[in-house]
Amino acid sequence: MTDTQWDTYEVFHQTKKGDAHIHVGSVHAPDPQMALQMARDQFARRLKCVSIWVVNSKDVTATDYQDDDFFAQITDKSYRDPKAFEAPDKESPDEH
Amino acid sequence: MSIDLPSSLPRESVLSLILALADDELMLGHRDSEWTGHSPILEEDIAFSNIAQDELGHSLVWYSLYEQLTGKSPDAMAFERSWSEFACCHFVTYPKGDFGYTVVRQYLFDEAEQARLAAFEQSTLQSLREISGKLIREEAYHLLHSKGLVERLGDATEESHRHMQAGVDQAFPQALGMFEKLEGEDGLIEKGVFPGNDALKREWLDRVVPMLTSAKLTVPASQTNGSHIVDIKPDDGGRKKSHTQHLKQLVDDLQQVYRIAPKAKW
Repeated sequence: MTDTQWDTYEVFHQTKKGDAHIHVGSVHAPDPQMALQMARDQFARRLKCVSIWVVNSKDVTATDYQDDDFFAQITDKSYRDPKAFEAPDKESPDEH
Repeated sequence: MSIDLPSSLPRESVLSLILALADDELMLGHRDSEWTGHSPILEEDIAFSNIAQDELGHSLVWYSLYEQLTGKSPDAMAFERSWSEFACCHFVTYPKGDFGYTVVRQYLFDEAEQARLAAFEQSTLQSLREISGKLIREEAYHLLHSKGLVERLGDATEESHRHMQAGVDQAFPQALGMFEKLEGEDGLIEKGVFPGNDALKREWLDRVVPMLTSAKLTVPASQTNGSHIVDIKPDDGGRKKSHTQHLKQLVDDLQQVYRIAPKAKW
């Protein structure tokens, strides 16, 4: 029997032009154009939205949860942290 | 708020036009909503339920205009009329069938909406122009969705083609009933309210015939001198309020809760 399951697409949603696209979930769809339409109905009807990205889940390369060492901090690296600086608010660059 | 029609316009004909629009949206919205919880996949369930709600919302827009002209409330028009008083075409009243039929019906309806709303944007009647300018934006999305499904399902697999072709065979004569001539229509054409159902049907055929053909679906239409000709009998009667038992069943469902407690405040 052939697999009739559609691909999944990861959905990224942007609330304001210039903001980062944020991952909000995934949808099943036969192709990217339909995925955009499905994503619109699942994620953009109630939330304010100016842009959506969809990415076939197969195209996402991810780390393995088992591979702890990938993120390990073995020695003290706190001296590298930019603690002395105040980062400006990136949310509203227009006000600066 | 009430508004007055310009006295130069034939009042009863304008009202019957608005009512036909409102009743079509209400009945199709209800039939579409019957897919909620039953669509082939979850995403389509939500997308199609969204379209169903939009169609019901559009019926409210038309009923509200009707109220401004007559004082009759949308609730009264939707819930207190007998099934033999609705002016919807038969097309929108039939049971939802399988998903192939539903997709074809929605597509044929959405193209008709594009044709008629675009024509209303040129109307001499201001309220018709204003409303159409708003609704056409949402209807364009409905069309994108239903057209996308027709394009893909028309020749995806042997099975999908079979369902879609059966949908076209069944829905096409029914869909012609959307363009049944209204009472007093000639007066509306003369006054520039709208170009008339014959003109809308030609516009609609120019949209749907090439599209369905490109989706590998056979359409009962031929071409003569660049215009599409259909020589099948349209499923008329709805505009004259002559209906089938399917509308009776639909209206029984639609009004069931309202009739239990007509004076209830929700």
